[in-house]
Amino acid sequence: MLELRHITHHWYGPKGQRQTLLQDVNLRIDAGQTVALLGPSGSGKSTLLKIVAGLETPESGSVWLDGMDISDWPPEKRRLALMFQDFVLFPHLNLQDNVAFGLVEQGTGRSAARERAQALLERFSLGGRGAEAVGTLSGGEQQRVALARALITQPRALLLDEPFSALDAELRVGLREEFARHIAEHGMRAMLVTHDEAEARAMANAAWRLQGGSLISLW
Amino acid sequence: MAKRRPSSAAAFRSRQRRTVLWLAGGPALFALALLVWPVARLLWQGLWGEPLAGLPMDDTGPWWLNAHLQWRVGWTLVQALATCALCLVLGLPMAWVLARLEFTGRVIWQRALMLPFVVPTLVAALGILALWGPRGVLGAPLAQAGWSLEGSPWLLLMGNLFFNLSLVVRAGMDGLAQVSAQRVAVARTLGATSWRAFWRVEWPVVAPWLASALCLVFLYCFTGFGLALVLGGQRWATVEVEIYTLIAHELALAQAASLAVAMLGLTAGMAWAYAWVERQLASSARIIPVMRRPLHGLTAWGGWAFALGGWLLLCGAPLLALLLQAVRAAGFGQGLAVLDEADTWLALHNTLRFTGMALALATALGLLHALAGHAMRRWAPAALAWRASAYAPLVVSPVALAFGLLLLYPQWLSSLPLLVAAYALLAYPFVAKALTAALDTLPEQYAQAAATLGARPGRVLWRVTLPLVAPALRRGMAFAAATMLGEFAVSLLLSRPEWLTLTTLIYQRLGRPGSANLDAALVLSAGLMALALLAFWLIEGRDRPHNDHRRAPHQDSRHA
Repeated sequence: MLELRHITHHWYGPKGQRQTLLQDVNLRIDAGQTVALLGPSGSGKSTLLKIVAGLETPESGSVWLDGMDISDWPPEKRRLALMFQDFVLFPHLNLQDNVAFGLVEQGTGRSAARERAQALLERFSLGGRGAEAVGTLSGGEQQRVALARALITQPRALLLDEPFSALDAELRVGLREEFARHIAEHGMRAMLVTHDEAEARAMANAAWRLQGGSLISLW
Repeated sequence: MAKRRPSSAAAFRSRQRRTVLWLAGGPALFALALLVWPVARLLWQGLWGEPLAGLPMDDTGPWWLNAHLQWRVGWTLVQALATCALCLVLGLPMAWVLARLEFTGRVIWQRALMLPFVVPTLVAALGILALWGPRGVLGAPLAQAGWSLEGSPWLLLMGNLFFNLSLVVRAGMDGLAQVSAQRVAVARTLGATSWRAFWRVEWPVVAPWLASALCLVFLYCFTGFGLALVLGGQRWATVEVEIYTLIAHELALAQAASLAVAMLGLTAGMAWAYAWVERQLASSARIIPVMRRPLHGLTAWGGWAFALGGWLLLCGAPLLALLLQAVRAAGFGQGLAVLDEADTWLALHNTLRFTGMALALATALGLLHALAGHAMRRWAPAALAWRASAYAPLVVSPVALAFGLLLLYPQWLSSLPLLVAAYALLAYPFVAKALTAALDTLPEQYAQAAATLGARPGRVLWRVTLPLVAPALRRGMAFAAATMLGEFAVSLLLSRPEWLTLTTLIYQRLGRPGSANLDAALVLSAGLMALALLAFWLIEGRDRPHNDHRRAPHQDSRHA
């Protein structure tokens, strides 16, 4: 179970003015569950995701994973894979090495990691393109590679930060179904940040709206 | 009951502070020992110091009471301002032609703009003499027509233009690239002619970029040494040359120190102005730039011919003339004899050795400086001060610096590490600035993605950040190497006979009478130019398509 307890965080404007971004936020995501977080731009959705990933530190509150307080853990120790809206594939690595990146960091040998990456790329219909540079891929293909890169390490949760917002509408619909299927196949718990309610309904079991720093349950 | 954890953010900040301290410690201590302390010692000597014991003191009081020195300071200001004015008048049309017109050879010309940044100072000075000097390719016929440039201030101004014109052209191009095509279109549809649209829409965008470059031009001309030493002669030399003469030939240290203090004050003021202007250079993230149009019509062709012809004459022809004269000296003169001399090979060996050692040190320092700046990017005032400190070695004159080192570490003057450290001090800002710019433009998400995939901070740096900023690192190292190969001012003041370098050897040959020595200097200069270009090409290599986190080289130039 991934759990956020009493997370409070502020944002400081360019002139140092303090504004509340997250106020006593509590959230629970059970195994196999996908929870969507909706809200307008600047409402703190992505900040909350980064707090879960360990990329930002809240002013107060804690993050718990399977009964352990991981608030002080650095991001690399948490094993929570984060996916960004603009894919963030490493441009100096080919597709196979991008997907294998996390395995190598976990200590898997480079050739074994590449083999497993190749196998996963095949499942994502990108099997013949492992040696290609990321720049040769379309937006949808890049996001598939990003998902493969996230899933290969078998993370304890998947954090999706508006993963389809950089894609066109038609591709978005197809890809979200494919993503939902892959996430379900891996039995993954996921936290999806989006501003698209249709996307949230297609992928998530539960949804919350972040408004004024607090969470409001939608379904 | 709610469990509050207010200590987590504090612990995070504490970890960050420790990281910054580790990264910044080395460069900070280095700059303190090699720059801040020597400059402070120089200031103290100039303002309050007693005459140094054991030296024949013929100081005649502070510079402002000496008419000759007053004239030197005045001329130094005038030549720097005149160069700025000429660079603006000539450079803006050139920048416009390059930024707005499409023509064959544009990319080659654009790349050639980088040439003056790589050419050593003495080579440039020899190039100017080879073109405009009394026996130069154009100088000789001009002299026959009664228009000799020898003994005039024009030789120095030509040298200044050679180095600085391209810098202003690059800055103008950068500024013009920030002009929004849509804003120009709106102005035109509201009734502005193309000239009015330029002045009312484009000029306000370009002006800060030009102002920034002109601050640098002023600084370089004001603190320049090599060009003024070779091209200025007795009459048109600048304050830096005067300081060198007072120290090396007249041993008038107190007077030299008072002059150096005045120079430091003025350069500090201008450096502050530069830093202020740089901060105004906001670039919009999503600009649709004005499209280049093909050469069409008399005005466009006329502008193209003026711009290209002017640049070739001022920046290209001196190097071609130098090559021509060097080939003549090698083929028909006595230039090749220099290759048989032991001094030449000693100088080449030393130049490569010092450059190699200093490049390794400069790279390490530059990397640490840039990473520290990146780590403290969220602490606005500290980050700004730290970044600005990278400019410090570039704005302190090398003569003043070498003088400060002479005063502070007299016991280490025969120690090679001091010379190598001084070289590295002048070179590491190139690495630091190139890397800082690259790190600034590198999306944070790459490191974040790597961290969430299990990479520890050191591994993120090694596997993601460094490969992505490698082109910028190579570029910074290339500029640093070119600078060190051509380093002259510090070498001249700190060097010992056994530390002869190519630049000091060229200068020695220039100072000796006879055509054989001039021929030798020309051949050596051509060799040094080839060496600098080779080093630059080898280190920088080819651009990689995946990453181009770079800044214009005008941000990274220096010539003593």
